[in-house]
Amino acid sequence: MRFYIDDLPVIFPYDYVYPEQYRYMCGLKKSLDSKGHCMLEMPSGTGKTVSLLSLIIAYQQFYPGRRKLVYCSRTVPEIDKALEELKRLIAYRREHGCEDKDFLGLGLTSRRNLCIHDRVRKERKGKVVDAKCREMTSSWVRRKAQEEPEIELCGFFEKMAEVDPADLLPSGVYTMDDLMDYGRDAGYCPYYLSRRVIPLADVIIYSYHYMLDPKVAELVSKEFSRDSIIVFDEAHNIDSTCIESLSIDLTNYTLRNSSVSVQKLAERVTEIKQQDSQRLQDEYQRLVEGLRDASLMREEDAVLTNPTLPDDVLTEAVPGNIRRAEHFVMFLKRFVEYLKARMRVMHVVAETTPSFLQHVREITYIERKPLRFCAERLASLIRTLELTDLEEFSSLAKVAEFATLCATYDTGFMVLFEPFESDQSTVPNPVLHLACLDAAIAIRPVFQRFHTVIITSGTLSPMDMYPRMLEFTPAVQESFTMTLARQCFAPLVVTRGSDQVTISSKFEVRNDPAVVRNFGNLLIEMSKSVPDGIVAFFPSYLYMESIVSMWNEIGVLRDVWKHKLIFVETPDAAETSVALQNYRTACDNGRGAILLSVARGKVSEGIDFDHNYGRAGHHYTESRILKARLEYLRETHQIRENDFLTFDAIRHASQCVGRVLRGKTDYGLMVLADKRYSRADKRSKMPRWIQECMTETSLNLSTDMAVGLTRKFLKLMAKPFDTKAQLGISMWSNEHIVQHGGRADIPMEIGEN
Amino acid sequence: MAKEVEDEDYIDIDDTGPEGLKGADGGYAWEEEYKRSWDVIQEDESGSLQSAVQGIQEQLKRKRRLRDTTAIQRGIIRHVILVIDGSENMGTRDMRPTRIAATLQILESFVNEYFDQNPISQLAIISTKDGLAEKLTDLSGNPLDHVNALRDKSNKDLAGEPSLQNALELAMHTLRRAPTHGSREIVCIFGSLTTCDPGDIKQTQAALKHAEVRVSMVQLAAEVQVFKRICQETNGLFAVADDEIHLKDMLFECIPPPPVVSAKATSDMIQMGFPIRASNAQVPTPCVCHHELSFSGYICPRCRSKVCSLPTDCDVCGLPLVSAPHLARSYHHLFPEENYREIDVEVHSGAEHSGAGLVCFGCEGEVKGAAARYQCPRCRKEFCLECDVFIHETLHNCPGCV
Repeated sequence: MRFYIDDLPVIFPYDYVYPEQYRYMCGLKKSLDSKGHCMLEMPSGTGKTVSLLSLIIAYQQFYPGRRKLVYCSRTVPEIDKALEELKRLIAYRREHGCEDKDFLGLGLTSRRNLCIHDRVRKERKGKVVDAKCREMTSSWVRRKAQEEPEIELCGFFEKMAEVDPADLLPSGVYTMDDLMDYGRDAGYCPYYLSRRVIPLADVIIYSYHYMLDPKVAELVSKEFSRDSIIVFDEAHNIDSTCIESLSIDLTNYTLRNSSVSVQKLAERVTEIKQQDSQRLQDEYQRLVEGLRDASLMREEDAVLTNPTLPDDVLTEAVPGNIRRAEHFVMFLKRFVEYLKARMRVMHVVAETTPSFLQHVREITYIERKPLRFCAERLASLIRTLELTDLEEFSSLAKVAEFATLCATYDTGFMVLFEPFESDQSTVPNPVLHLACLDAAIAIRPVFQRFHTVIITSGTLSPMDMYPRMLEFTPAVQESFTMTLARQCFAPLVVTRGSDQVTISSKFEVRNDPAVVRNFGNLLIEMSKSVPDGIVAFFPSYLYMESIVSMWNEIGVLRDVWKHKLIFVETPDAAETSVALQNYRTACDNGRGAILLSVARGKVSEGIDFDHNYGRAGHHYTESRILKARLEYLRETHQIRENDFLTFDAIRHASQCVGRVLRGKTDYGLMVLADKRYSRADKRSKMPRWIQECMTETSLNLSTDMAVGLTRKFLKLMAKPFDTKAQLGISMWSNEHIVQHGGRADIPMEIGEN
Repeated sequence: MAKEVEDEDYIDIDDTGPEGLKGADGGYAWEEEYKRSWDVIQEDESGSLQSAVQGIQEQLKRKRRLRDTTAIQRGIIRHVILVIDGSENMGTRDMRPTRIAATLQILESFVNEYFDQNPISQLAIISTKDGLAEKLTDLSGNPLDHVNALRDKSNKDLAGEPSLQNALELAMHTLRRAPTHGSREIVCIFGSLTTCDPGDIKQTQAALKHAEVRVSMVQLAAEVQVFKRICQETNGLFAVADDEIHLKDMLFECIPPPPVVSAKATSDMIQMGFPIRASNAQVPTPCVCHHELSFSGYICPRCRSKVCSLPTDCDVCGLPLVSAPHLARSYHHLFPEENYREIDVEVHSGAEHSGAGLVCFGCEGEVKGAAARYQCPRCRKEFCLECDVFIHETLHNCPGCV
């Protein structure tokens, strides 16, 4: 269908548009016009991606300037899904007479997903693939290969290197598979192909990290023009991603590896010194001149800034005591040894970065300034020494980055040392965390660099939290609800068991036998009355383990087994995916299954449970890092601890229950088993679309009442449902858009049908 | 069937006789969601609720009345296997007294109605419990056998989980012997939300589809993906019953023969015998079916053996024996009586029938002024609602046209 938003003709690849999609596009258009950032919340399963793409592509093609679209998504399957959607859209646009000349859309992902080299692609680990690829493609290896022909090079890469980027890829939309097929046919390396054509592409779809992780962003996202449109889809966890991208954990293993690497560096330096001392001398000269190039670039506003490379570092020369290679190696050695010494402490230490640096200086006489240059200097040395196996040096790079970040930021970071994995364990497993507390640090360059950054997800409520945490001012900030022809999901808040004992996963009461038993009974009752699949979310792995073992003792599991099979999510990704696969099979063949999983785990993020039903139990986690972050938030953003905790918990809960519903004809049940959800202040933090479905009757239920409502709801939902009934209410054709004050191309529609 | 009608949720008020305290989901009324039933009912001008209540009843009747009347090819020789869930879940008390008791009771009337409407068809019953499937009766055309099997007390012994796959495999095995000219159907009643299968049910589904067996199911609890999928794949009906009445309605939708979709169904000739009634016998002779002495019976026109009831297959020569009325009764499915048009009282009551109500052509009773009346599109005779329902459900012939 085709309609207008203001004067912009939008071609939408379906016959009907949901009202909320239309409104969503209006909001999007407004923020694109004003060149401001925006935040849009729309329930999952209402076609966010397609609305986003159709509007932005229409905008891109209609107005001059062709603003590039950079679409960041979370996982590889999601990226592929978005690409499929884009492909469909472009094909549809073509059918409807839009030429979209030279349109190029593609996704970017790791070598592991894209490699077509016979030998390398057999490797399973991403890092190994990267290393093997670099062995054949890095510039010095190739230079060397010209002299020594026995060195193996990648044929795909070599063939592509000779071609001009503009001729590499004909216009069109390429999914991952398309790209690989094309690579195979043409004999080009799909990975480098995609990287090379990025400047030419109109739409690029890739993972968050390519934008937020400073190391990766440096390589791929640096050169996007200022008026590019940046979209973060499924962005409810964007602050965690930001924080993760700047947080570093060091373990004994990392440090051991670093020592080995330092040793190797030293050997290599001596070797090079004997063979080719000029090379080291050149590097020295370069370092004296400082990082002038980078500083020039930044002044010209040509690139995305890198938070690990603060401004003042650029203007200064690299300090003298680490300019020489052998000095720097010694320097690193000392620092690593210092860290090793720190690891031997047997109690928890939490300190600010200045106090950590102070301690470093007292013990090792290492000043702050050289530490700041550490990461940059190491990268330079590795380049000079022409080392290919970067995997080998990843631990050391981590340590160097740790040093740089510590020395650069006085606030926003926290150094935390934990000798034991948990409070109960006695075997030391020390971890030194450099915890980033301020999500804004990683994302600030993005907001500064680009005019329009769009943050969108199914669950962004409460919406005022994100602008405060990420330090930006949205031009448009809206939450859209789902219009439904029938009430197709039912949130139930269960607050007590059949015996009227209050249930809650609050820390103080959650191991109480009565509470555990009541949770168990709820699960049994639900497994009796809900068909197919149930997903149960727990607040943490630890709590899940303890409660499952308690259930086993009191025989809850045995009762559940009669009705459904039980699968458990574990922190191990491979195990979980097997469990997930079997879970799906069990649902498919009618045996029915329960998946016990963790609210922050893999399942709650990005895996859809259409036609299955979710149940969520929830509570607030406490960890030391979280505590530190809370304090920080309070001090700098005036966000109260409790507010943040509630926000975090509710956001995870909404995300979990949001998994249930994927589309308007689907239906699902959400059981929130915690007393706290019946309180109005907690409830008001839920996304509007969930809130609207919470009626008085579905609050403060006991288990038996919930079961009664469940049965009734399921019977109601099983009634045949005609899609025509949605028309005009939850689905609009062109006429309806006109009715609601929009403009649409009705004659064209009729002409075509 | 009248799909569009059953989509409308008819008004479910809780004053339906002695079961008034019971809500739709089987719990007590006070366990249920708060419902303002009085808002649904509107008083008429005189402040009486009579007309509102009448309206609701008429609505219910009309719902069953409207049917698809286009003449399509339907297989009037049917082979239906009933599958009853005998698992523990059937013991749930959301139907009174239990799901299984309510189901068996409704099935009894189903069996009778089935043979009444499809006299030359056959039926078998399978029950599944503890992961196994067991045949209660074999394919036969005698309603008494099936009703007796249903009345068997042991049906109410519930155990374990049902196995849909085993039940379907057994049903398919039973149907394998059925002649190709008849339709093959499986009608399941399930209260359980799971099925405990030995193998991959998808293969069974494919086999069913290949054998052109139509699977319909009435679920008593909720929609289960796999059940629904099998029904859809095999062109059957899938429904979830709200309560006993709804269960009966849904089940009875399986009584009219389904349209023939099979490519195999050829309009070949089928041999059938029309036996003569042996009436004036001097001495009682044994019948071949039960070996009991009796005076009356029917003589097979081919082998001259005596059977005691019709319709049946001759036990000696295997010839299907029917009587002409049986065949005629099956016939109405092929040429169903057209739905009568509802006449708008306002328009009509002007000139022709001013004042006095109309006299129904069927019962010759007077149709009250406000009540709706119905007109046969062919003979243009008018009928009251009761006669309309009677004509379409029982008589299958319009008295006016005849």
